[in-house]
Amino acid sequence: MLSRVANLIYWMARQLERAENTARIVDVNSQLVLDLQSRQAADDPKSWEPLVYVSGGEETFFELYGKKATERSVVEFMLFDRRNPSSIISCVSQARENARCVRDLLAAEVWETLNTFYLKLKDDDFARYAQLGSAEYLNRVKARIHLFNGVADSMLPRGSAWWFFQLGRHLERADNTSRILDVKYFMLLPETSPVGTALDMVQWASVLRSCSAFEAFRRSRRGQLSLERVVDYLLRDDQFPRSILYSAKSAAHALAQIVEGAAHLANNRASTLTEALIRDLEKTNTEQTIADGLHEFLDTIQLRLNEVHTAVQQTFIDYPTNQARIVA
Amino acid sequence: MPDLFDVYELGRFYDEMFAGTGQPRPHYQRLFDRFARLDGMSSLLERQRTATQTFINRGVTFTVYSNTEGTEKIFPFDLIPRIVPAHEWATLEAGLTQRMQALNLFLADIYGAQRILREGVIPSEMVESSKHFRREMVGLPLPRGLHVHINGTDLIRDENGAYRVLEDNLRTPSGVSYVLENRQVMKRVFPNLIRDYRVRPVETYTSDLLALLMRLAPEHVPEPTVVLLTPGVFNSAYFEHAFLARQMGIEIVEGSDLVVENDRVYMRRSDGLAPVHVIYRRLDDDFLDPTVFRKDSLLGVPGLVNAHRKGNVALCNPIGTGVADDKAMYHYVPRMIKFYLGQEPILHNVETYLSSDRKDLTYILENLPKLVVKSVNEAGGYGMLVGPHSNQAQIEEFREKILANPRNFIAQPTIGLSRCPSVCESTIEGRHIDLRPYILNGESIKIMPGGLTRVALRKGSLVVNSSQGGGSKDTWVLAADDQASAPIPRLPEKLIV
Repeated sequence: MLSRVANLIYWMARQLERAENTARIVDVNSQLVLDLQSRQAADDPKSWEPLVYVSGGEETFFELYGKKATERSVVEFMLFDRRNPSSIISCVSQARENARCVRDLLAAEVWETLNTFYLKLKDDDFARYAQLGSAEYLNRVKARIHLFNGVADSMLPRGSAWWFFQLGRHLERADNTSRILDVKYFMLLPETSPVGTALDMVQWASVLRSCSAFEAFRRSRRGQLSLERVVDYLLRDDQFPRSILYSAKSAAHALAQIVEGAAHLANNRASTLTEALIRDLEKTNTEQTIADGLHEFLDTIQLRLNEVHTAVQQTFIDYPTNQARIVA
Repeated sequence: MPDLFDVYELGRFYDEMFAGTGQPRPHYQRLFDRFARLDGMSSLLERQRTATQTFINRGVTFTVYSNTEGTEKIFPFDLIPRIVPAHEWATLEAGLTQRMQALNLFLADIYGAQRILREGVIPSEMVESSKHFRREMVGLPLPRGLHVHINGTDLIRDENGAYRVLEDNLRTPSGVSYVLENRQVMKRVFPNLIRDYRVRPVETYTSDLLALLMRLAPEHVPEPTVVLLTPGVFNSAYFEHAFLARQMGIEIVEGSDLVVENDRVYMRRSDGLAPVHVIYRRLDDDFLDPTVFRKDSLLGVPGLVNAHRKGNVALCNPIGTGVADDKAMYHYVPRMIKFYLGQEPILHNVETYLSSDRKDLTYILENLPKLVVKSVNEAGGYGMLVGPHSNQAQIEEFREKILANPRNFIAQPTIGLSRCPSVCESTIEGRHIDLRPYILNGESIKIMPGGLTRVALRKGSLVVNSSQGGGSKDTWVLAADDQASAPIPRLPEKLIV
C-alpha cells in the first residue's frame, strides 16, 4: 500500500489508542486521589501535577496554565484543550482527519463510527465532565473507542491497512501502559503511608483497574496485591493484552505480517528492535528492576519504543528512495 | 387536480420541453403524460427529497473554495431530465468528433511543425502569448500520436434552439462523476420511465477511460500501472477523483506519493517503490513539476516532466493542451477544422470578439452593457462580466481591465441559454441549462451519450457553474426517436413513473 496511506492509518490507530489511555490515566488518578485519606491531600496541586509529567506534556502545560496544577486545569489540558496535541479531543480530531483521507479504504461504518464520536465529543468541556462525574464521563469516552475498535475489527480486511492499524495501536499501548505504571511512581504518598501499607494496596488496585486488569490479575496471579506482583503483571504478563510485553509481541506480529512475502524487508530494523525489546522484557527480573529504580526502567522502555517508531518510519514511510527496492 | 405544468411560463427563451404553452415537444410527450399521473407537486417533491437524500448518503459532494471551513456540499440535483432525441445527438456526436479531431491535429501541429502558424491561419502571437503554451513540449513525440485525450466541451442552445459550442475544456475537465451518479439516482426514482424511453446507458465511461489510459503506457510494458494524481483531499473535486479511481480500480495518489529515480516514476509503497507508467492527472500543468513549472508547487513531483520526455511515463491529458482551450484560441477552432480536415464545422461557435483585435476592441468597449466578457484563462464562472446583469461600476471596472491587458479578454453577445423545466421549491419553472459532453480520444473517438447538464438554479441566472449556485440534471439521450412519442400502452391510473 502507499506509504502515505499506511502512515495515516498507523497514526489514526496511535491517536485513538492514546485517547483511550489518556482517559485511563485521568481515571486512575481520580481514583488515587479519592483513595487518599485526607481531604487536604486531595486538593493538593501535587495530586494532579504528576499526570502532566506522565503524559510528557509538562512544557506545554506550564506555558498555558502557569505553575498551579489543579484538577480542573489538568483535566482541561488532558481532555479538552486543542492546544495540547495529546489531549483526547486533539487525538480524536486528528484520527478523524486521517480517516477522512483514507475513507475509501475503510468500510462506511468504520468512518461513521469515528465521525459520530468526534461530533459528540467536540463541544464537551469541563462542566460536562464535572456534571457526569469523572468515572462516568471517561467510561463513555472509552466505550466510544471500544465501539470503533470493534467495528474496525469486524469490518476491515486483514491486509496491509489492518496490520499498520495494529502496529500503531500496540506500540502506543505499550508506551501508554508504561506511563500508567509511572503515575503511581509520581504520586506522592503521604508521609504516614509508606510502601506496603493498606493505602498502598488500595492504590495498586486502582492502577490495575485503570488498565481493566484487576479481575484478570486476581485470576491469573492468586494472592496478595504487592508492588512487585502488580508491576510484573503489567510489565510482562504473557496473556494480558495491555501488558507491555504482550503489546510489544502484538506489534512484532503486525510487523511480521506487514513484511510477509517481502524478502528484502525480512531483517528490517523495526522488527529487530521490537524483538530485542521482547527478549529483554522476558529476561527482566521485576524485583531487581524495582530495586534499581522503576521510573528509570520505564523511561528506557519509552525510549526504546520510540526507536521502534523511528525505525517504522524509516523502513516503510520515509525511506530514502535512491536505494529503495523496486517492487512489481 | 391542477396539472403540474399548468402555470409553467415559457418565457422568451428556447424551451427544451415545450414548443408552446401546454404543447410538449414530441420527445417530452411521454414524460408529460407520466407526470400527469403523479399526485401533483407533492409527489414530485417527495421524489426530489429521496434523490437529495440518496446523494447525501452516497457522499456525492464537492468542497467550495471560498468556504474556510471546507464544508462538503452536495451538488444540487434537479429531477426533471434533459432529453436529447436520437437525431439531435447524432449531429452533436458528429460535430464533437470533428472538433476533437481538429483540436488533436492542432496540438500536434503547434508542438510540432507549426504549419498553421507559418501559413498565417492563426497569428503566431496568439500562441506565443498564451499562458498555457508550453515551449518545453515542442518537438516531443507523444504515445500513439495523441495530443489530447479528454475534452469536456460546453454546449449551449441559443434562442432558436441551435446548439453552439461555448468552450472546450482540454486540461482537466471535471463533472463526469456526477453524470454517473445522477443516472444511478434516476434509475431509482424513475425506473420505468428510463426503461420505456430506452435511454442510452452512460455506465461504460470508466471502462472506456481505463482502456484509453492503459493504451498510453510505454509499449514494452506488459502490465502497465495507471494512477490518478489528485491535488489532495481538500481539492473541490476530490470526490470525483476518488470516485473515478475506485471505479477504475487504480490507485489515487498525491504528488508526495510519487518519486522519480533515473527518469522513471515510482509510487512510494510501504514495501518499496512500485513503477508507474500512466498518470491520469487532475492537476494543472503549473503544479506538475516544480523543477520545470511553478517552483513553489508542493503538489507536484520533481523530475516528472523529464521522465515524461524520456517516454517512461504518459500523462493524460498531455502537458500544454491548455493552449487550445484558451478562450481566445476558441475563436480559431472553426478555422482549424477547415485547415486540417478541409470540412465545414458541424457545430458552430458563439460569435466572439477578441479584445486583442483593434476593430473588435472598439466594438467591445462600445457595447459592454450588452456583452458577456470573459477572462481567457479563468474557469468556473470566475472573472467574467455579464453586461446586462451588471451595474455601471462593474462595467467600468472591466473596461479598465480590458484596456490594461487586451489579450486577456474576449467578449460574446449575451445568449439567452435554453431553459428546461426544473423543480423550484413548490412549482416547476424554467431554468437555464448547458451541456458538457465528455469526449475520449483513444483508439477511436468515443463520446458518452449525453454528458453533464448543468442548470442555473437561481432565478434568471445564466451562470451554471457549481461554484455559482448551479446544479445538474440527468441527460437522457434516446436510442431511437420513435420511442419517445410512441403511443403509451394503457396502464392503471396510479402508476409508478
